[in-house]
Amino acid sequence: MDGGKTRKAKIEVRNLTKRFGDLLVLDQISFDVGEGEFLSIVGPTGCGKTTFLNTLSKLIPSTAGDIFIDGEVADPKKHHLSFVFQEPTCLPWRTVRENVAYGMEVKRVPKAEMEKKLNQIMSLVGLADCADLYPNQISASMLQRIAVARAFAVNPDLLLMDEPYGQLDVKLRYYLEDELVRLWEQLKSTVIFVTHNIEEAVYVSERILILSNKPAKVKAEVKVDLPRPRSLIDPRLVEIRKEVTELIRWW
Amino acid sequence: MAYEQVKVKTPLILRLLPVLSVLAFFGAWQMVVDREIVPSTMLASPIQIFQLFLVKWTEVNPDGALLSQHIWTSVQEAFAGYLLALLVGIPLGLAMGWFVVVEGLGRPIFEMIRPIPPVAWIPLVIFWFGIGISGKIFIIWIGGIVPCVINSYEGVRMTNPTLVQMARTYGATDWQIFKQICIPSALPMVFGALQIALALCWTNLVAAELLAADRGLGFLITMGRKLALPDMVLLGMIMIGLTGVVIGIIINYFEKKLLAGIRR
Repeated sequence: MDGGKTRKAKIEVRNLTKRFGDLLVLDQISFDVGEGEFLSIVGPTGCGKTTFLNTLSKLIPSTAGDIFIDGEVADPKKHHLSFVFQEPTCLPWRTVRENVAYGMEVKRVPKAEMEKKLNQIMSLVGLADCADLYPNQISASMLQRIAVARAFAVNPDLLLMDEPYGQLDVKLRYYLEDELVRLWEQLKSTVIFVTHNIEEAVYVSERILILSNKPAKVKAEVKVDLPRPRSLIDPRLVEIRKEVTELIRWW
Repeated sequence: MAYEQVKVKTPLILRLLPVLSVLAFFGAWQMVVDREIVPSTMLASPIQIFQLFLVKWTEVNPDGALLSQHIWTSVQEAFAGYLLALLVGIPLGLAMGWFVVVEGLGRPIFEMIRPIPPVAWIPLVIFWFGIGISGKIFIIWIGGIVPCVINSYEGVRMTNPTLVQMARTYGATDWQIFKQICIPSALPMVFGALQIALALCWTNLVAAELLAADRGLGFLITMGRKLALPDMVLLGMIMIGLTGVVIGIIINYFEKKLLAGIRR
């Protein structure tokens, strides 16, 4: 896999393997992610996407292989990793603003810098109006925006997203996808976006990795070389969507 | 602000219901005594109790202390035991919920002590502390600590695991996760413990004051029994009830303030 041809590889995944007892879930996955690249990963349901992300983020140890950030073995205490989970992970006892600040607090970002970053991010994601509200006072889509804002706020070396918009309705999802792309363009983070929604993957990313059925391997790679802003009815985008769909074919 | 809170008014009839039930209860009680359905050696009427209540503010006899002194003594003992139970029980429970080492060390001993009723400690307590206030505080403490530990422990255990994972991916240390995620998550359960422990401490008060006390609401009850004065027994019981209610209201007030974000 040659994601890093045009730019330097920020993330290198090498022979990542995960076994639960006899069950092989991830089978020697290797790929690179370029600095500031937006990479999507799609695969059949149940192919081990969540295990893949949990292993990548170091939440669970890998059986073999590893992930390197700037040539070093990834370590959540040293590198800036962010993870946006499927379910909104807001702390109910913190206001919206305090929730967005959480990642930076853990990383002990100096107060002044944190305030500056918060102001920037909050207005970028349109949360400035409800900064002082508590999570149970705002809608579900807002909750996920908090998680996304918190993830971008720490200037992550790697931002992992696990179907963050899977539970939202279509209209809202389009809106948030645009917002995500805008954030990524402005903040230039390196993103790995996992989804089962092929259209979403083609719409947001620069490159797509397709995983095979369990045990998961990288089956194919598709470049999405389309200008932005993109349109879902652009014939080129539809073409790529069909190509990816053909490659997955789990039905 | 675009988001406003709506206040809902409770209908008058619903607010009157508790008043009605209390009035009906005392009315029926008064009637039962007035008509001598129950002999007066066994039960005093609410009016008699209220009269004794008024008298006991200024009259020391026959039990040797004013009502206010009884209340104050009991409140002191109960609160000392209660606060000690909170101070030891809550941190212990929280730590047991998160740190496996603390759980491994603390849990077996706690599980062994837990089923022993606080009154069973009375003989030992007399050996250890004599009959002073410290023995009573110990009895109240050992009863109150159980719900503090259990609720705090369960509260931490019930922390949403995704929140913990979220914190981990940001590189949070175990201590940071404990402080920033687990403790706030456990707070509603901990506040539950405040109420349960208070009820237990207050209940154990009478038992503790059976320890050769010379003051306190439990002592007032004991004296009422010894002197065969049902009104005094009932006054002691009612005062324990009322004081407990007042303390409960105070704790509820602080709970609401502190948990504004969660309970809204």
